[in-house]
Amino acid sequence: MILSKYPNLVLKEIFDHMEYSDLFILSFASKNIRKMIRWSQKERFITIRSIEYFFDNNWEPPLVHVHSKRGSESIMDLRNPRRDRNDIFQLNVSGKIIDFQLCTNKKRAMASYQESENESVIVSIQNYLLDFFGSSMQYHWRFGYLQHYFIPRLKNVSFCIDICLEEDLKEMEKLETFFSSSPVFKWIGLKTMSTIKPFTPESKLYQAESIRISQFWDNFSLSAILRHFKGRQATVMCDRWENSEELIEFVNRWKSGEAFQKLEHLKFKFNRNEILDKGFLNEIGVKCIDATKQPPTHTLPKVYNWYYQQTEPTTDPIISHTYVVRATDNRVASILIQEDMSRSGEWIETIYFGVWDKTEEEFLKLID
Amino acid sequence: MSSTEQGTSSAAPAEPTTAPESAAAPEVPESFYYVHGKDKVVHKVSAGALQHSALIHGMISNLGYTEEQAKANPFPFENIDGDILQMVVDWCNQHKGKPTPPEDTNLPKQKEKLFDLVLAVNYLEIKELLTYCCKQVAMMVKGKSPEEIREIWMIPTDAEDEAAEKEAKKRAGKEAAGETAAAAGDAK
Repeated sequence: MILSKYPNLVLKEIFDHMEYSDLFILSFASKNIRKMIRWSQKERFITIRSIEYFFDNNWEPPLVHVHSKRGSESIMDLRNPRRDRNDIFQLNVSGKIIDFQLCTNKKRAMASYQESENESVIVSIQNYLLDFFGSSMQYHWRFGYLQHYFIPRLKNVSFCIDICLEEDLKEMEKLETFFSSSPVFKWIGLKTMSTIKPFTPESKLYQAESIRISQFWDNFSLSAILRHFKGRQATVMCDRWENSEELIEFVNRWKSGEAFQKLEHLKFKFNRNEILDKGFLNEIGVKCIDATKQPPTHTLPKVYNWYYQQTEPTTDPIISHTYVVRATDNRVASILIQEDMSRSGEWIETIYFGVWDKTEEEFLKLID
Repeated sequence: MSSTEQGTSSAAPAEPTTAPESAAAPEVPESFYYVHGKDKVVHKVSAGALQHSALIHGMISNLGYTEEQAKANPFPFENIDGDILQMVVDWCNQHKGKPTPPEDTNLPKQKEKLFDLVLAVNYLEIKELLTYCCKQVAMMVKGKSPEEIREIWMIPTDAEDEAAEKEAKKRAGKEAAGETAAAAGDAK
């Protein structure tokens, strides 16, 4: 069977039926094949939302995932710890020769290398992926543990971390130290179980583009985030609500243009019967849309899709009659306070703050 | 020229007995056409079965042949081996008037046969069968190393591609030089 005898459209049809992991291996067969894959799969590669290096825990090899509109697929394992010399083949990955094996049950490539080669191998792989898949999609480096982490210097890669802090201040100190030596994160997911002290105001936690914090039994993060967050999207889930003063201060600082210039979307969810005194709305000078009119829906693409979903990941829609206006540029932010009854009969209250890329005049034109 | 009607006879039991059009409309006698491949063996195939092939369907749709005329003018597909054309005819008969299933497990397992079948099906423009064949070709290399894939699909290495490219350039240069010399000769 001489593949090159097939017309290009037949080759395209064959490649269309191959998974990303197979195309990745095939791309090493020759330069011409690699070119042909890129040409024929251009439309398919456009559907890729992100390519992610995923380091979930210490005992499984890290994976490289392709997340696309069709689904999520692992294309290779990094640093296979159970190497068997018999099946090793070597590939030239962007100028570096790397040992690979095929994972027999999952049928995907596993790179085999010493830990000391971590950086150089990953850099070569990233350069190869950029060349093969292109740079139109996002590349993420995500990890979920602080032991043996390393953050390589890679082209076009954003960093994400998903951490669960134990009931131990040492863990938090470790995380703070880690943040201080890290680049700015695209996304930080943080779960905490008990009281921990607030992060320092300069912490990278507040500089991340997007954060998602789940905190049980305490609310250290809420007031600190309302003061220090410099990113675009934040979601905080906690059990207790201290008072509304910090919320008033936050809105006033946003309205004055003094802080939160990049902010797009905030969501604070309180789980246990915490009902906010709505009086604070008067104190922040909200404006109201005519109650008989339908307000426009505020929703945005998520900065980072922290759990994989096939539909386009977007922030929770905000449909609210109340809004505030920023003095410096006349931009509008919708404010919504939503109360729901949980299955266990407890009240769950959620506060949304969604900033529009529209002036008040433009915003009011959106109303039916 | 020998003639075989295996296609129609084997396909007859598989035909739907309660096709919607036969139930609703008065029965119209089915028309047949004839095709042959490289081996000149003629296959009689119903117009319904041939609908799978966009190429043949386009050819016959405006012909209005009588049975005699069709028999006297079989469509020649000299670029398709007889056994491959037989496979194609059998497939068209088996799937006549039926929705095609998501998988087809009756495709040839030998890679050379499958390769020829893909070329034939692509030429005859039988979309569904081409999809099945391409899926099967893709499955041949699942879980294989690049070296194994090169062997299975006979993919030239980069060095072989470069050598072939050089050779092609040399040949093109020679041909161009030959044409120039011939043109100069004509001018004299």
